[in-house]
Amino acid sequence: MSLSHPARLALYLTAVVAVTLVHLPVPLLVLLASILLVSGRGRIALLLRAARPVFWVLLLMSSGYLLMGWLTNQAVLDTLLLINLRVVVLALLTAWMMRDVDLDRALAHWPRARRWLVIVRGQLLLFLRLGRDYRHAQRSRETVPPTLRQRFFGSAAIGLGALDRGVHNAEMVTQAMRSRGALDD
Amino acid sequence: MHIPDGLISPQTYLPALALAAPLWWWAGREFAGRVGDEALPRLAVFTALAFVLSGLMLPLPGGTSGHAIGVGMLALIFGPWVAFLSHTLVLLLQALVMGAGGITALPVNALAMGFLGAWTAYLLFRLLSPLQAEFAVFVAVLLSILVSALIVALVLGLQPMIARAPDGSPRFFPFGWSVTVPAILLPHLFIAMGEAALTLLIWRHARRRRWLQAPVAGEA
Repeated sequence: MSLSHPARLALYLTAVVAVTLVHLPVPLLVLLASILLVSGRGRIALLLRAARPVFWVLLLMSSGYLLMGWLTNQAVLDTLLLINLRVVVLALLTAWMMRDVDLDRALAHWPRARRWLVIVRGQLLLFLRLGRDYRHAQRSRETVPPTLRQRFFGSAAIGLGALDRGVHNAEMVTQAMRSRGALDD
Repeated sequence: MHIPDGLISPQTYLPALALAAPLWWWAGREFAGRVGDEALPRLAVFTALAFVLSGLMLPLPGGTSGHAIGVGMLALIFGPWVAFLSHTLVLLLQALVMGAGGITALPVNALAMGFLGAWTAYLLFRLLSPLQAEFAVFVAVLLSILVSALIVALVLGLQPMIARAPDGSPRFFPFGWSVTVPAILLPHLFIAMGEAALTLLIWRHARRRRWLQAPVAGEA
């Protein structure tokens, strides 16, 4: 049975709250294994995608707490295991939701939220593309790397140019949507 | 300075959600009243810009990360209510697209950065702009980031006091205020100066283009 996208989103939101109510490492470990099992093909990529954003925060926090435990002669391993597992399970749930839930369809009942999401997502792609184009253009024109001062001034100029282009682009999209009746709700 | 999911307790995020929900509702009303069709594309672009600015992250020992926020810029251009709503969307996208921050941490992050950050920037700007508008932008953004960082540090440092196992060990974030306040505030002092300078550059550009929805005193 395949769940609808709004139902998947609701299930995800319920699951993240439920996970924060679990305070034992063993159920969290079982949950982690179950998610990996149920999530199907690409599970290792999913785990890596989930772990990447939280890895450094967890490493810094855990090493600091380990050091504190060692200095004060306290047992901290159980606490660290619980916290690390919980953070990883929540990150994995989010990565899984992002892979298997289509937010456009999940937000079908909220057209304004969906419209805003579409415009913002479009602008994000534009900014990322402009940033990449700028880096490539700079590399292809310079035989030596630019100085920090040149990078600052260059980035400021291209950033403001990108802002103008982004606003112009978004206005065109909105006008096109309005002329087709997409903003009539 | 996002707090990831799993580091703050339900004792913290549920009351934060109860506080944030009516504020989001009210911000939605303000948004519908203030942002016309012609300003919506600009808002979308600036929301995307705030997303890009806050996407460059540096993990900090205090259990969070350091990065520009962009909410001061949003507040000075569109006003605090719109900035709060817009920054909530940034936080939501970051949680879902990049795994930075989180769903349970969203109300706390939104209140600390989106609400308090936006209002601090806006009110300080209103207070100082009669002196000199550009100075006001710089100081307002700088202090708004420090206020947000302080709130995040206080919320994280509160966790070992309010969410403990029967044996006294912490169930969520394990460090108290003596660690979180300096570990989060000090790096944000430098981040705040950089972001204040960047916001000033963008604000000047927005003023030249007549994009300011929250005008400077004497220019309304």
